[in-house]
Amino acid sequence: MGSELQQAEPNADCAVRGETPKCQQDFPIEWEGDHYVSRREMVKFLTLGSAVLAVANWVTVFAKGLARPDSRIVKHLGRVEDLERQDALLFRYPTEQDPCIAMRTREGKFVAYSQVCTHLSCAVVYDKSANQLVCPCHRGVFSVDQGAPVAGPPTRPLPRIKLEQRGGQIFAIGTEV
Amino acid sequence: MSIRSQGTTLFSAILILVATTVVVQLWLLTFSMEALLRREYGVLPAAALASSFLLLINGGLLRYIFRFDHEVQRNLREKP
Repeated sequence: MGSELQQAEPNADCAVRGETPKCQQDFPIEWEGDHYVSRREMVKFLTLGSAVLAVANWVTVFAKGLARPDSRIVKHLGRVEDLERQDALLFRYPTEQDPCIAMRTREGKFVAYSQVCTHLSCAVVYDKSANQLVCPCHRGVFSVDQGAPVAGPPTRPLPRIKLEQRGGQIFAIGTEV
Repeated sequence: MSIRSQGTTLFSAILILVATTVVVQLWLLTFSMEALLRREYGVLPAAALASSFLLLINGGLLRYIFRFDHEVQRNLREKP
C-alpha cells in the first residue's frame, strides 16, 4: 500500500507541473506516439548495433582458433604406382559424402583436394595439359599446387586433404579446412 | 536560423554519421567473414580494430547527445 503511494507520488507531481509522467512518455497510449522514434532513440539503437558488430568482428579474430579441427581418419588410397599411372584418383574422404581428388604435380609431389567447388559445389576435374583443377559449371580454375582460385567465380581455395606415403602406399590422413 | 532548427540539423547530422559508420562496420564484418573462409587470418585483427574505432566514434557521439540533453535540462531548471 505504502509502495503504491510512493509510486503514485511522481505522477502526482507531474500532474501539478502540467507534464506528462515518465511512464506515459515511455509507453504512450496512442499508436502514433508509440510508433514514433526520435533521432536520439535512433542514435541509441544504432550505437547498440555498432557495439554488436564490433563484438562480432572480434569473434571472427578468435574463431580461427575454433575452426573445425583436422580430421584424423586415416584412409588407404592405393599404391603410388597406381596414382602415377592415372591422371587423377577420385576417392571419398573423410566420409562417403565427401568426394575428393588426388593427383601428382609436375614437381612429382602428390596432392589432394576436396572435389567440391567452393563457388556452387560442382565437381572439379583435373586438366593435366593445363595442370589445373577446373570446374566445368562456371569455368572456375584452381591451382594444383595450393588449391587456390586462379580464375572464374570462386574466391575461396579448395579444402586440402593431407596425404602421407608409407611403404609405397598412399594414405589420406587429415583435412585442412 | 533558430536555435531549435540548428539543434535539429545537428542531431540529423549525428544520426547520418552514426548510420554511415554502422554501414561501414557491417561491411567490415562481411569482409572479415570472407577472409576467415579464405584462411587469410592476418586481416582479421585489423578489421576488428577498425570496427572498435568506429564504435568509439559512435559512443563519443552518443555521449555528446546525453551531455547536450543534460545541459539543456539543467538550463531549463535554472531559467524556468
